[in-house]
Amino acid sequence: MVMLMPALFSAQSSAFDKFDGKEGVVAIVVNKKMFELMSNVKMDTKDEEAQQYLQLIKKLDNLKVFTTSNTKAVADMKSTVTTYLKKYPLDELMRINEGGKTIKIYVKTGASESQVRELLMFMEGGKDETVLMTLTGNFDLSEISILTDKMKLPGGKELKKASKKS
Amino acid sequence: MYRVFVITGLIITLLVSCSSEPSLQKYFVEKSKAKNFVTLDIAPNFINTDSLKLSGEEQSALKSLNKLNILIFQNDSLNESLYDTERNNVNNLLKGEQYEQLMKMGSGNQGVAVYTLGEEEHIDEFVLFMHEQENGFGVVRILGDDMNPNNIMTIIGLMQKGNLNLEQLKPLQDIMKT
Repeated sequence: MVMLMPALFSAQSSAFDKFDGKEGVVAIVVNKKMFELMSNVKMDTKDEEAQQYLQLIKKLDNLKVFTTSNTKAVADMKSTVTTYLKKYPLDELMRINEGGKTIKIYVKTGASESQVRELLMFMEGGKDETVLMTLTGNFDLSEISILTDKMKLPGGKELKKASKKS
Repeated sequence: MYRVFVITGLIITLLVSCSSEPSLQKYFVEKSKAKNFVTLDIAPNFINTDSLKLSGEEQSALKSLNKLNILIFQNDSLNESLYDTERNNVNNLLKGEQYEQLMKMGSGNQGVAVYTLGEEEHIDEFVLFMHEQENGFGVVRILGDDMNPNNIMTIIGLMQKGNLNLEQLKPLQDIMKT
């Protein structure tokens, strides 16, 4: 069963792998090993923020960000997200509409309400590029603001709002 | 007597089948003389530290780095499918061996990926794979012994502090010019 677990998880997140290498789509993938290595870098132990960041990074498994302004790819992303959510239902954490832009954030919670195993964000419309982001791991929703501060994640502002909500 | 032959025969086939397994190392050797390819080895003294006083930490970081192997494939306008074939070859090698992908970034026809070999934070090899449809691709193998993330950070720091001894990179500059 333990052996099967990673296979099961990767089956989920691989739903979006088709966007990797597709023309007009910029893909960024960061794997667990990278997070592990990053968490081993020595940082100032007095810097509380840096320490929180290292603690959080240890809990991350996989980050994927796909960005595009190609209309065909946007349509494909939209339908893939819809199918994905039907197959693996996540909870809608929040939905924001502003200036023709829609931002939807979904989470799969773990043992407790604020414990997140998977976070999916889909940002579309408006003048900006369409962004699809998935993050898996085992972290607390309140920790997301540390991440958005340290890494320049797309939709950082919105994610911050979402983590405050909890 | 017959039995000895069979056994030696078996051992030989075993050895041959082992060593015939493709590896990135082999690929480098194989392509070093091939058309459209350039390979070069770089010793860690390309970071010129003569003028610097190295701390113990910096010394051990440098010691963990053995050498850099670089392979460059230049696109052949007369044989465009070669780019895809060779790129696939590299991709398969990186998938096949014990490499773990750290991260990758890219769009349709260009990108960068970073792989490591080693257990946990004891890294023996980093591989950078950069590709661009129009020009070709490059593979950089950073070989060492127990390069941990802190050592890497220290080395990057040293590269910024010290002068880079670019003499070893001459073949690369020559490519850029052509």
